Amino acid sequence: MTPTKTQQPTGYWWYLLPGLLLVSAIVIVPLGMNIYYSFTSYRGILPPQWIGLENWQRLFTDAKFWTSFRNSIAMIVAMVVVPTLLGLLIASVLFDLVGKRFGGKVASFLRATYYIPQIIPIVVAAIVIGWIARPDDGALNSILDTIGLDGARQNWLGDPAWALPTIMVVLIWVQIGYPVVVFMAALARVDPELYEAAELDGANWWHRFRAITVAVIRPEIFVVALTCTIAALKVFAPVYALTRGGPGTSTIVPSYYSYSEFFQSTQVGYGAAISTALTVVIIAVSLVFLIAQRRVEQEEEQR
Amino acid sequence: MRSSRKRKALDWVLLSLAVLGALVVVAPLLLIVLNSFKSPDDYNQGGPLQLPSHLYFDGLARFWEASDFPKKLWNSIFISAMVAVLGVLVSLFNAYALGIGRARGRLPLLVVFLLANMLPQEALLYPLYNMSKAVGLYDSQWSVIIIFTVIQSAFGTYLLTSVYSGFPRELLEAAAIDGAGRWRTLWQVVVPVSWQTLSVLLIFFFIWTWNEFLIPTTFLVSNDKQTVPLAVAALQGEKLMDVTTTSASALLGLIPTLVFFLIFQRTLTRGVTAGAIK
Amino acid sequence: MRSTRLALGAVMLAGALVVSACGGSGASTDSDDVDTTVDGEGRTLTLWHYENETSAMGVAWKAAIEQFEKETGAKVEFEPKSFEAIRTTASQVLNSDKAPDVMEYNKGNATAGLLASQGLLTNLDGAVEAYKWEDKLAPSLQTTATYDSKGVMGSGSYFGIPNYGEYVEFYYNEDLFKKHGVEVPTTFEELEEAMAAFEAKGVTPLAESAAEYPLGQLWYQLALTKADRDWVDSYQTYTDKVDFSGPEISYATETIKDWTEKGYISKNATGIKADDAGVSFINGEAPMFFSGSWWYGRFVEEAKFNWSTGLFPGAEISPGSSGNVWVVPTKAEEKDLAYKFIDITMSPEIQNLMGNHGGVPVAAEPEAITDEKSKELIANFNTLTEQDGLGFYPDWPTPTFYDELNAGLQEVLNGTKTPDEVNEELGSLYQDGVDSITGGS
Repeated sequence: MTPTKTQQPTGYWWYLLPGLLLVSAIVIVPLGMNIYYSFTSYRGILPPQWIGLENWQRLFTDAKFWTSFRNSIAMIVAMVVVPTLLGLLIASVLFDLVGKRFGGKVASFLRATYYIPQIIPIVVAAIVIGWIARPDDGALNSILDTIGLDGARQNWLGDPAWALPTIMVVLIWVQIGYPVVVFMAALARVDPELYEAAELDGANWWHRFRAITVAVIRPEIFVVALTCTIAALKVFAPVYALTRGGPGTSTIVPSYYSYSEFFQSTQVGYGAAISTALTVVIIAVSLVFLIAQRRVEQEEEQR
Repeated sequence: MRSSRKRKALDWVLLSLAVLGALVVVAPLLLIVLNSFKSPDDYNQGGPLQLPSHLYFDGLARFWEASDFPKKLWNSIFISAMVAVLGVLVSLFNAYALGIGRARGRLPLLVVFLLANMLPQEALLYPLYNMSKAVGLYDSQWSVIIIFTVIQSAFGTYLLTSVYSGFPRELLEAAAIDGAGRWRTLWQVVVPVSWQTLSVLLIFFFIWTWNEFLIPTTFLVSNDKQTVPLAVAALQGEKLMDVTTTSASALLGLIPTLVFFLIFQRTLTRGVTAGAIK
Repeated sequence: MRSTRLALGAVMLAGALVVSACGGSGASTDSDDVDTTVDGEGRTLTLWHYENETSAMGVAWKAAIEQFEKETGAKVEFEPKSFEAIRTTASQVLNSDKAPDVMEYNKGNATAGLLASQGLLTNLDGAVEAYKWEDKLAPSLQTTATYDSKGVMGSGSYFGIPNYGEYVEFYYNEDLFKKHGVEVPTTFEELEEAMAAFEAKGVTPLAESAAEYPLGQLWYQLALTKADRDWVDSYQTYTDKVDFSGPEISYATETIKDWTEKGYISKNATGIKADDAGVSFINGEAPMFFSGSWWYGRFVEEAKFNWSTGLFPGAEISPGSSGNVWVVPTKAEEKDLAYKFIDITMSPEIQNLMGNHGGVPVAAEPEAITDEKSKELIANFNTLTEQDGLGFYPDWPTPTFYDELNAGLQEVLNGTKTPDEVNEELGSLYQDGVDSITGGS
């Protein structure tokens, strides 16, 4: 089929212009400057002084740096794996079952409540989590007492063994609303006739889920997984608000480490090295995702 | 045509699980509400979990006055709304070119746009600070708006491009046959069909921008330009913290976004009917 | 051709001179330049601070603003800020033309010292001489007002002016003491006896927080009971190496461990924040709270029982220092207005007002303080300054030591590390931080 005027690829470049200009100024240039700073000793006011690979050498032998990346893996579990799976399940239940059997209003209301943690500023949420996690009279320990499990009481945020798991639970709570909303919007794209045909064929809810739902909303699943992964690698605010990376270094993450170097020690050069390393990791991971997504899309087209 | 209205037992089980999950998720919000109307005495004596003995509005009133809350509210609304709209526009244009136009070099370009999302915010602060001083945009809301437009549109570009890659070719061809150029096709075909996704983006961008702290703190120096989260944070003194007033301010801070979300939610439920395709 | 090149060269040279003159640390202002009579007609002073408006400082400074406007005819543009925002953005704001004329800033090497060493603060020697502020500041208060070229306090020029003080003392819930038949301690032995007595009755004697500053300050106080002024100078101003396995610090860490095992300090303190610890004192759970004079106003308002205060029994030096300091950014536009404002906050009327509102002024007139409890508060502070007993704070030496000390003490409470291990770890973190400050960075 000969491409008509609307389908020639070159004419679309005009639409990319604003985006490209903005991204160069706000992202590419600062990225370059940040990389430059990582090779300097810079306190933020007097001009940076070139020191070559010194920051980088220090970084590779810095135990705190490696610990922070280990903790990132925990963040990925808490912000990507669990929310995506759980979110898919909840969105499907709400849209498919609740929406159809109990009415759209009920489904909408429940969706809104799941999204609320995303609306609460993390500084505020941290105060509440603090109340719940208090060792002496916090809500969680009080509930454990009431149901007779007082042996399970812990110092949730103050014990190095429990701080990270506690933060992970908090992150799941914060993140869950995002996949639920995205997936529910995506599910609206599924042609209801497909479901009806499948139901007539005798497929139960689980079969329909796997064969139809997951297949149609694959783009959104990829997007949610990738953006949550990037967010998990970059995570800063919850750690800052809840534990400041402690107790010890049990909850420190790369972003918090670079923040403390930038703004507390004002060692901008070293902080820049940490954040550049983090950026490299994020870019690498994202590339893997995008290539996988591209490959899956190409398979789809060939069908 | 709705599915049979027969509700099996399993349906009720699933519903109760969903409701239970929702309750657990929303419990902390209830705690905030509880403590916002509590006097400091009640908090000291009863702790955060008890009901207040009487409704106490002083904390709310004092915060409203002291922070000039209406101004902060307006600032937040202005900045978040501008970012939402501009961010969606930029994402739309980018995704139109990449997803539908299939411009050459799609993958590298996508990565370039996504970089805005991949960079940790702390890394951007010093370079952008130096740049904004040079162009006179330091202590201006526009610097915040521009920065967040770029950051949010990274996500928007990615999501929309993914969705537009699977855009029904028949619709585009039909428009081409009708003699529509790229611009008209965009506004008359693509946007209406993907309105669902665009709305989701608007909501996300608004809320995400509203709750931001680090970049607004850096670039909004004068008090009268600052946003609601900054006003809430200002309450936290270095050593003392007034928990009930902080709670009250938090409540005030999240009501606008909650309302916004609830309003837009109805748009989401109207859904895209199969009729758009015909 | 030649003349153009010469002209170009001259312009570049002139430009370079101008640029180099603008940058760099502030040159000293001669006292001839500082005029103490100031006409402010049509001018505006931009002022920032982050004290709560109902606190003693908030009240006093509000009165100072009114007096300033009356005396000089200038207008004051006051912006209340949050400490966190200022701490994060200070070096950026002060380096731009949005800098205020005068602002409150935290004292210490890691804060005011850092800014001073980078040329962001005006050298105040001229103003100090013209207004005679030195007479109003006791020597240990001057320590936190002066910084050298590396940003270390104690010597060099004046870069900040304090007008209030703070220190750490014991708060005792007298009703609880009476209820359990325990005497309020006046010596260290009595303190340990009192804690044991409470513990025996099932009451955890000390309200503590290891997630934030309180436990670190207790630890430091214990070290100070075995230390002398020279040790404090070494610790705070790096005059000599500090041995973290020496008698002062070993004693402090051991005692913390000891007290935790005896039940005087709750193991759960690792998850408790400072505010929660204070609240546990206010609601009558804990009979003793060792923390700062900044709690005073809140206890007056919210504590519903009889309470008293006292310096740490048997200690000559306690944690404490001048309060936050007024600084004048190098890029401030109205410097002589700024100096005038600072002077007004140091004046007897404002200092007395502060004292009568539960604050700790540096230069109030004792006769003018009428409130009984305030008298007690200020008297304790004066005792400390007179015996040169202000020990500053344990987290001051390096910008990251606050988090590092908290983390170390949490490990002591949890038993995950022995006191010796913690001392060694803290020692090396301390040394790293100090080296990067003194090592000419």
